Amino acid sequence: MTSGQATAARTAAGVTVPKPSLLARALPAFSGTVGLVVKLVLLAISNAIGLWGGVGFLTNGNTIAGVCVLAATVAIDVLYLVPRQGLVPAKFLIPGTVFLIGFQVIPIVYNASVAFSNWSTGHNLTKQEAIQTIQETSLAQPANGAFYTMTPAREDGTLVLLLVDQASGKTFVGTEDGLEPLPAADVTVENGAITEAQGFDVLTGSELAGIDQELAGLVVPAGGDSFVRAEGLSTALELKPTLRYDPKADTFTNIETGAVFSDNGKGSYATAGGEEIDQGWRTNIGLANFKEVFTNPLIRDPFLSTFTWTFTYALLSVLLTFFAGLFIAIALNHPGLRFQRVQRSILILPYAIPAFLSLLVWRGLLNDDFGVVNNILPVDVPWLFDPWWARVSCLLVNFWLGIPYMFLICTGALQSIPGEMTEAARVDGASGLQVFRKITLPLLLVAVAPLLIASFAFNFNNFNAIYFLTEGGPYSEEQSVAGSTDLLVSYTYKVAFQTGRGGDYGLAATLSILIFLIVAAISAISFTRTKALENIV
Amino acid sequence: MLSTKTAARMLVALVVASLAAIALTATASGADATTIRIWTDKDRLAAVTKVANAWAASKGATVEVVQKDFGQIRDNLKTVQAETAPDVIVGAHDWIGELSANGSIVPLFPSTATKKQFPAYALDAFSYGTAVKKLYGAPVALENIALVTNTKLAKVPTTWAQLQASALATKKKTKAAVGISVQQGSGGDAYHMYPLFAGLGGYIFGKNAAGNLDPSNIGVANPKFLKNAALIDQWNKLGLIRSSVDSSISQDLFLKGKTAFWFTGPWNLDTLKKSGLSFQISPFPSIVKGTKAVPFLGVQGFMVTKFATTHNVESLAKDLVSNYMMQAGPQLELALSNGRFPANLNAAKQVKDPQLRAFGQASAGGVPMPNIPQMNSVWGDLGAAWVRSTKGSGSVPAKRSFLGASRSIAQKIG
Repeated sequence: MTSGQATAARTAAGVTVPKPSLLARALPAFSGTVGLVVKLVLLAISNAIGLWGGVGFLTNGNTIAGVCVLAATVAIDVLYLVPRQGLVPAKFLIPGTVFLIGFQVIPIVYNASVAFSNWSTGHNLTKQEAIQTIQETSLAQPANGAFYTMTPAREDGTLVLLLVDQASGKTFVGTEDGLEPLPAADVTVENGAITEAQGFDVLTGSELAGIDQELAGLVVPAGGDSFVRAEGLSTALELKPTLRYDPKADTFTNIETGAVFSDNGKGSYATAGGEEIDQGWRTNIGLANFKEVFTNPLIRDPFLSTFTWTFTYALLSVLLTFFAGLFIAIALNHPGLRFQRVQRSILILPYAIPAFLSLLVWRGLLNDDFGVVNNILPVDVPWLFDPWWARVSCLLVNFWLGIPYMFLICTGALQSIPGEMTEAARVDGASGLQVFRKITLPLLLVAVAPLLIASFAFNFNNFNAIYFLTEGGPYSEEQSVAGSTDLLVSYTYKVAFQTGRGGDYGLAATLSILIFLIVAAISAISFTRTKALENIV
Repeated sequence: MLSTKTAARMLVALVVASLAAIALTATASGADATTIRIWTDKDRLAAVTKVANAWAASKGATVEVVQKDFGQIRDNLKTVQAETAPDVIVGAHDWIGELSANGSIVPLFPSTATKKQFPAYALDAFSYGTAVKKLYGAPVALENIALVTNTKLAKVPTTWAQLQASALATKKKTKAAVGISVQQGSGGDAYHMYPLFAGLGGYIFGKNAAGNLDPSNIGVANPKFLKNAALIDQWNKLGLIRSSVDSSISQDLFLKGKTAFWFTGPWNLDTLKKSGLSFQISPFPSIVKGTKAVPFLGVQGFMVTKFATTHNVESLAKDLVSNYMMQAGPQLELALSNGRFPANLNAAKQVKDPQLRAFGQASAGGVPMPNIPQMNSVWGDLGAAWVRSTKGSGSVPAKRSFLGASRSIAQKIG
């Protein structure tokens, strides 16, 4: 007998039983065949993702990750398929743990690992790939090097190149052994290319698409370091390396000048004089990125001023929007108010418009010479082009954007404060202000304080609010990396992508770890403080 | 010991799982050895598909054209997995320093006959190397800004004095806050300001003995430019240019007839034609004697990625890019498909649209945007220097402003 039938039976007997909760009704519905099917489908999805990911890792040569993923997938199957009492708590813990690992732990660990690497423009390959790339890039056309019109052909099944020197018109056949002249009598040349040759099967049309790998591997020695190689499907040319790699010493030598480039331990081949080869590789550089942040004046100096502004911006944004939101919430919470719902809906509107859109609109409205705001005001305020006014603009616009959120959460919290308490206080002779200060506000803060902390953390990293309004500007002529309204997060972006050669992911990860530590510290302190609030009640 | 029921359940689960896994891997399977995957943006998608397929048909290959956001092509190339990576990309010439340093693209060696069909600067724009320069892409389309004149309001100026006088006369008549529509905004816009910057003697990077851009030779505040910098302060005082003019305001002012001149590129040609204004496109007049006010040149083109080698389609990809795409026919088709001037000289001769030709003529002598990755350190500071000096009252004198920018850029490049 299911619980549903039991309820019906007892109700029939005249006993009124409260309707069971949604969860209590949902659980039995999932424990029969339906439940089994749902479970199997969910497990199948988990297995599919696990298999796909695990096999993907293994085929990419990432054995440890592949084995871990596959083992975890099997473990999850066992957990949910083996009926054993001792496993029940784990059934509830595992889904949360998987998501925690997937969405929190792995990204944090990955970010931290990037912070210890030199991943940036020019350090994007593995060392092996870098060596290959340098060798390939060092190939150059020698002075007066030959350039050929090429026709791929087969001689007894082996791929050869039938070549016509574009300068002299002489014909050759190129094989792995070298270049050999072809007598002009044996070949037919049309439009500068060999179309037929005695003893060779010329490849044409769709035959060409399949020979790519063979063609790429065909290197025709042409004396000394030089060789002839196909470039595309109808030309070939003489190439000569400018750098020679010595695998034993792990060095590159410039063939012409004799300059020696050796591994500098920082992911590049460099000469003793510091001249580097462009293509380097990604490698662990220990704490170098952290050292850079604290010692390079270019990064260190703006950090402090940017931090001060970021902190002020986040704090003022939260406080101003909170008190304004609270004020409106209290005003609209009055029981006798007309059109209460309509008024509330209108106030939430800024929250419903995508923030980047309203930010761009505000940017237009606040434009110094052409904006509506300055057209209406009797004075010209340099809203976006003066450092201090730009900061005011950022706060004002964020104030406008943030009120609806605070209004919403305050309305919610206000409605959960029991009316008896404020009434009792009134009866005891408390004034309105006293009721607000001693009862409403403390009770409200218990509910909204964690949200205020979250809002602070959000505004601390509110990249869009700055980037769409001022792009971090205006810049002073001394300040090089951060503008006067840059937050730490947009400053990080600029340090990583708009200095040096750009694309410095290692430095960006380092800075984001520092930001994380700052925000975490502030939040931790605030949370311990708000615990005190709970003791009020 | 497992019960038979449990065993049956596990079996069912595993069967379902394997099916799902096969379905998943099937969708992610790589292309076969004769497919060339091309990444391009929305504007060029149709033309690239058409032209590349015409080539593929003659070679027995197939083409898969993938649409990407233009900027994403460059960024995604750094992190893409080999299975889904492109063999050929369509991009801008100023990416190649970064892409080459990252080992993402490979050098190309087109024949001399092919190279002769291109202006030297187009090939130069696509060449990069700290020691020896290599060609890394097939240039397809050129773009640059030019001077657009509203011919109802002003005559096409041949000297800077004429331009300035007409601009100020219009400003007075229409009570606009600015004389010339040239965009900056609070973040600055070094690209649109470049003709003025170059016209006053500024340059970004000098060249070393080997003819390559030298990131240690920064010309943002070179003596010649500083000597002329007082003109910027004068323009600021007269209200000839203003940093508060951003892209939408500059367009709005010109289209509503409040300014007589607009610095803009072929991407606004459609807007101009639809506006019904009578306008003419011309090169910028010289500002100071002996120095040309030239625009930045942007060159778009095709590049072969390192993944073409991994996918065993290197020769096919190179045939497509350094042979076929450099020919006049495909060039004309590609360039005109999104209203740009073709890089191939033979194709350029066949451009009929007089306005597009005018943009092409204004490119003469232009400077390709530096393609070395150190350019990342320049854009922000150079734009900010203009913003500081042209914001009306409270502006920083140009000399001080550009010296600050120069110092800052040098510091950032390190």
